[in-house]
Formats: sequence, structure tokens, C-alpha cells
Amino acid sequence: MKAIVIGAGLGGLLSAAKLSGEGYEVEVFERLAMIGGRFTNFNINGYQLSTGALHMLPHGPTGPLAQLIKEVNADVVIKRQDDTAFMRIHEDLEKGIYKDVPFGKFGSTFSAWNRIKLALLLISTRKWSPKNCSLGEWITKNLNMPVAHQMADSFCGWALSLKAADTPVEEAFEIFENLYRHGGPGVPIGGCKAVTDALANVVRKNGGNIETKTEITEILVENGKAIGVLIDGQRHMSDIVISNIGHPFTNDLCKDAPTSPQYKQYLDKIRTIKPSAGVKICLAANEPLIGHGGVLFTPSAKRVNGINEVTNIDPKLAPPGKHLVMAHQTVQWDRIPYLEEEIDLGIADLEQIFPNKDYEIILAQSYYDGWPVNRSSSGTDIGNTTPIEGLYVVGDGAKGKGGIEVEGVAMGVKNTMNIILGEGN
Amino acid sequence: MKINDNCVGCGQCTAFCKIDAIIVKSKAHITDACVNCGVCAAYCPMKAIEADE
Ligand SMILES: Cc1cc2nc3c(=O)[nH]c(=O)nc-3n(C[C@H](O)[C@H](O)[C@H](O)COP(=O)(O)OP(=O)(O)OC[C@H]3O[C@@H](n4cnc5c(N)ncnc54)[C@H](O)[C@@H]3O)c2cc1C
Ligand code: SF4
Ligand code: SF4
Repeated sequence: MKAIVIGAGLGGLLSAAKLSGEGYEVEVFERLAMIGGRFTNFNINGYQLSTGALHMLPHGPTGPLAQLIKEVNADVVIKRQDDTAFMRIHEDLEKGIYKDVPFGKFGSTFSAWNRIKLALLLISTRKWSPKNCSLGEWITKNLNMPVAHQMADSFCGWALSLKAADTPVEEAFEIFENLYRHGGPGVPIGGCKAVTDALANVVRKNGGNIETKTEITEILVENGKAIGVLIDGQRHMSDIVISNIGHPFTNDLCKDAPTSPQYKQYLDKIRTIKPSAGVKICLAANEPLIGHGGVLFTPSAKRVNGINEVTNIDPKLAPPGKHLVMAHQTVQWDRIPYLEEEIDLGIADLEQIFPNKDYEIILAQSYYDGWPVNRSSSGTDIGNTTPIEGLYVVGDGAKGKGGIEVEGVAMGVKNTMNIILGEGN
Repeated sequence: MKINDNCVGCGQCTAFCKIDAIIVKSKAHITDACVNCGVCAAYCPMKAIEADE
């Protein structure tokens, strides 16, 4: 059996590593001159910045991605510092008076009555998940306090690059459930690149092939079945095609897609997919700004949702003695035309959060549309199959339920592999 | 080289220009230092870097 993979992003490489290990002949084609997509590093002045992710796996060494990495025998070390998620709640932003509240104890900043309510809600919502509204609406109904909204926005912004008002409440509670189930974030030693490079090594060791600077221009479809791809006018045939570029772009490549009612329905579903937008600001610090390897959520800030300092776990991601600090902020869709202003607001937040600290801005990176934070924002995923037989979609345009970012990518790949290879493979 | 409207400002290109001719903030800007080697274009995920006419 032969599989062709479109794109050497995380989802494509995970699929290629798994299938090549199961005896498939695998060829991965990547348009760019490098592999890894939005999950690899690039070097600026000795700082290992990343093409996308903040060098962090949402569920660290015990999550779905870590499990899949182990399953395909990729060599990656993932480290977690326990109890290192804090919410920085400012009592006075101008004067810089704040408290860092441990994430698991965020109820401690609420009034006594709301604390009791929160405890009851947490118990009842684990049994009966709320439905049919956004997390923002749910908070308004159940614990209407500005600080609760700010915390929810900061968490959703960090984890999903969405406002709480744009996050379906079912998805939010599925994520909380996964945090209980799998634990908090961790850092792959060597950053994002260590993960995608290790997966590429597995593919090659299993006899698979990865070509860079090779763009696929068409997915060949015959009688409703994917039969291969077109590259430079040449046909490359295969039994299955796995696309790492999300449903809308995959559909664009299917020039001979069927005209069936089923395919029309699929096109309607594709139209509901919304990529999420965001800004990441990377700082070079001459002293630790955070001092731990977890996440500092910043609910009191105007734009920044959360910040990490991964060099507390892997010092090699910065030059000796220096720290790499990365701040993430959601960009609401209607603010995309004003990105420069959004970035300036983020920079102003950082000045308030870290007054009198010794750091410089290395780069502000922005993401939306065709190169977003998430190809399908939470709750808009439509699964890994397509109406075209033998054509599958993986990556963050086709995540599993409640799967945050790369954990969702891994869950989606796992699901796709179960479909292709059979359950319990 | 020039930047077209596809650019999202991801900053990937800056790292691959050996002579630091690209500045990125919300969009990439190519400065006069550019020697048109074309290297950066192979790293742009949005096909936003084109040759000048
Ligand atoms: C600012 C930011 C912060 C983030 N932070 C985190 C984080 O801290 N933790 C986390 O878990 N996740 C984070 N994410 C999300 C994470 O980076 C992505 O979910 C993940 O990298 C997506 O991988 P993917 O499998 O969808 O592939 P992609 O990275 O989308 O790769 C797709 C590949 O396909 C190639 N391609 C496209 N078209 C073609 C074609 N026609 N032919 C051949 N190749 C093609 C592309 O060049 C690309 O290399 C963040 C993302 C961003 C942008
Ligand atoms: S063409 Fe060459 S010199 Fe010009 S910006 Fe790109 S990499 Fe730099
Ligand atoms: S790599 Fe492309 S999209 Fe990213 S900043 Fe450079 S020109 Fe813009």
C-alpha cells in the first residue's frame, strides 16, 4: 500500500511516521524549503524562535501527542514543571500591584458566595456538561463577575486564540476535562523542532521519503476516489492521500471533486470553518521575567493572554544566561486590519507586566487566514474524512474533540489511523 | 524582491535573509539592502515574496 502526504507539518509527519511503521510505502511532499510547518524553530541571534507554537505541549509528557510520539518510536524528551500555571491578577495596574494566583486555585480571588457557587458548578458541570452557548455566555449566566470573564478570556486566548464569547461551552468543558485527565503543559527539549525532526527521522528510518520544495498542485480524483497527486505536471499515484493543509485548501486541490449532494453538504460544512488569529511577541531577556517553566496567564492585561519562559526548562533555547520569553494574544477577526495597533497594545501590556526589567523585543509575529494559529478554531472541526474515498485530512484543521492545539492534532491523527488501519492498530 | 498582499506577518522570512534585509511588524518590509537572492521566498508559507518586474 502506498500513501502520499501533502505537507510536512506536525499532522503530516505524525501520520507518515505511523503509516511507514505499519509497512506502508510513504512519500511526504512539502512546499517550503524546510519541514515542520508551524511547529519548528528558526534562529535569530541565538534565540530559538518558532514558526508557530510557543514550544509548549498543552498536556506535556502525558498527553495524546506524547503518547503518539512514543507509539511511533520517535526520540523526544518532554519535560513538565508541576504546579507552574499562575494567573497574574492586578489589583492596581498603574502601580503594578498584583497577585500571582495558582491556576488550580483561581476561585480564591472570587467573593465567598461566588466561591461556593464555583465549587458547586465545577462538580455539577463535570457530571452534566453545559451545552448550546459560549463559555462567555455561560459565565455571564452563572458567575457574572468581571474577573471571571477576564480569566476565561485569558485562558481561551492562550489555549485556543479565541475570546471566551467565541468558544463553545461544550468545547471549553471538554478541555477542562482533558486537563484533569492528561495534566498540564510541558516543553519538548530542543523546542518544536525536536518533535518534527524526530518524526522525520522515524519516517526515513522506516524507508519513507520526504521531499521539500515540492508543491502538490492537484489531488487526482477518479470515480470519487483519490488516486494520487500532481506535482510539476507529473502524476504520482497512491492508494491513499493524507492532507495536512485543512479541509478548505484540500478541497481547492480537488479539481475533479464529485458533484454529488453528499459533496455539496461537505462544501457547506467547510464554509463554517473559521481559522483563529493571533499575535506572538518574542522577547530576549537578560534576566528571568517569569522564573518558572509553566504559563503565566495575564487576565488583567488589555491584549496579552499569557506568557511563558521556556528557557527555565530548556536553557539551550536562548544564548547562555539569557531567557526566551514569548507572549501570546488573540486577535479578534474584526481587528485583523489593525494588526499593527494590536501588536503595539501587546507591547504596552508587556511594559506594564514587566516594569524595569531588562529585555528587548526580538520579533512580533502575526497569524491569520492561510497561516493561522488554528486552521479551524475550536468547535468548528469537521473530522478527518472527506466524501472522497481514500482522502483524509489531518492537522489543526481536523482536530479531535476537546483537543487543544497539537494535542488535538495528535487526537485527529490517531482517529485517522484507526480508520485506515482499523481500531486497536 | 517585493511583498504582496498575501503576507500575514509571521516573520519566518527574516530568519533566512543572511543580510537582515527584511523587517517584520504585522507585514514584512524589504529594505534597500536586498540583493534579490530569492532565498527568503522558499521559506514563506503564504507565497507573499515575489520577484520585482
Ligand atoms: C502563534 C502560535 C502559537 C501557537 N502556540 C501553540 C502552543 O504553544 N502549543 C501548541 O500545542 N500549539 C500551538 N500552536 C498551534 C500549532 O503550532 C499548530 O496547531 C500546529 O503546528 C499545526 O500543525 P499542522 O499539522 O496543522 O500542520 P501545518 O503546520 O499547517 O503544516 C502544513 C504544511 O503543509 C505545507 N503545504 C501547504 N500546502 C502545500 C502543498 N500544496 N503542497 C505541499 N505542501 C504544502 C505547508 O508549507 C506546511 O509546512 C500555535 C500556533 C501559532 C501560530
Ligand atoms: S531576496 Fe535575499 S537579500 Fe533580498 S530579502 Fe530575500 S533573502 Fe534577503
Ligand atoms: S514569511 Fe511570508 S507571510 Fe511571513 S512575514 Fe515573511 S513575507 Fe510575510
